[in-house]
Amino acid sequence: MSNESQRDTGRDGPTRTDDSSPGSGEWTYVESQIIMTTVRIVAPFSLTYGLFLTFHGADSPGGGFQGGAIIAATVLMIAFAFGVAPTREWLRNRTVVALAAGGTAAFALVGLLPVALGDSFLAHEQFEKTFGIKPKWGLEAVEIAGVAPIVAGVLVGLFFVLAAGLFRRDETSRRLADGGSPTRRRTRLTDTGPSTDGESADSSKSGDGDRGDEAATGDSTGTWGDSPGAGDTAETPDEGSSAGGDRE
Amino acid sequence: MSGLFGAALSVFVLVTAVTTALLRDVLAVVVVFAGYSLGMALFYAFLLAPDVAMTEAAIGAGVTTLLLLLTLAKTVRTDPDRWLERPNLPAVAVFGTLLVVLVATLLDGPVVGDPGLAWDNPGVTQYYIEQAYEDTGVENTVTAVLAGYRGFDTFGEAVVVFAAGIASLIVLRQVRFTDE
Repeated sequence: MSNESQRDTGRDGPTRTDDSSPGSGEWTYVESQIIMTTVRIVAPFSLTYGLFLTFHGADSPGGGFQGGAIIAATVLMIAFAFGVAPTREWLRNRTVVALAAGGTAAFALVGLLPVALGDSFLAHEQFEKTFGIKPKWGLEAVEIAGVAPIVAGVLVGLFFVLAAGLFRRDETSRRLADGGSPTRRRTRLTDTGPSTDGESADSSKSGDGDRGDEAATGDSTGTWGDSPGAGDTAETPDEGSSAGGDRE
Repeated sequence: MSGLFGAALSVFVLVTAVTTALLRDVLAVVVVFAGYSLGMALFYAFLLAPDVAMTEAAIGAGVTTLLLLLTLAKTVRTDPDRWLERPNLPAVAVFGTLLVVLVATLLDGPVVGDPGLAWDNPGVTQYYIEQAYEDTGVENTVTAVLAGYRGFDTFGEAVVVFAAGIASLIVLRQVRFTDE
């Protein structure tokens, strides 16, 4: 019964399933007052610093790459303090990939515009001849609209994808809601990560059909269970569940 | 960058680098490597390369450490039977020889931080230093070179970062969600 209700809430708000279900494996999100408070204080400054480096990179040390990296680091910090699921709620995969792709497109566009005007690729001085815009703004456009979003998008995307297997994420619940075959996917997950313990425990709840699969992957599950990490974080699911509840 | 601080920093970077190579526990390696990156970031800052220092601090010490930790969390962490790796003596001998040669070459190079150094360097360096502001109107010469003079290279790099990132995202998703 309780399993069913857990999965239902999962569809409405992936946050709660992921953080409250003890099945999330050894690496459940744990709320820490110290980390949350620190990040709450530091994040605005580091975000501002990242934006400053990006937008002021032409006239002081820094630039799109550094700024983008620090903006991404801010997002990573927030995700670590407040959980990956809530972070992904306001920063969707689509947004992250759009940032990276849009940055590349913007860079190419800034480079190709002079070509369209009859000059070479990235010849910023053509802007001055045609539009009366200083070449400096060509460089600024490349740094701000091109490099910074690419770096920020790629770093945040990599973090999300790597974290996804650890902190069970909305993809699974969304696929479940879509009527995909949860068993096979979940079993598949068993082969790839240490969250397997949780995963197989989770899938065993969902029905008889899963039992066989769980048994089939029992070997690897045993291996994971023996890893020292399991002992270290044995108490996390409990804390995680209360944390998840509080945050709602 | 001389004096006590420089010496201490050098020792710190050397110790962390060797420790990274010798430690057996991968988690400890990641943590020590983050310390190494931080030391290198300080090094770059004191060698008057703040742009590189910021990149090293944000990427090397920050993001890379985090990504490595997340990757580690997905793998089995074996209980190390001993703390340090036993070095492969022939390899150490070969590397030592290489190191001696490299250090010998290094000593013949110009003094680090010599103000005349870049100026004496003929050709492009001098041109950038003299002309960058006039040509581009940008005060940070590094940015002028990266986004202006070497804009095509930067575009290539940006596309490589984008392509590598997207490819990693696709591969990592496939690993988790394919049915086979």
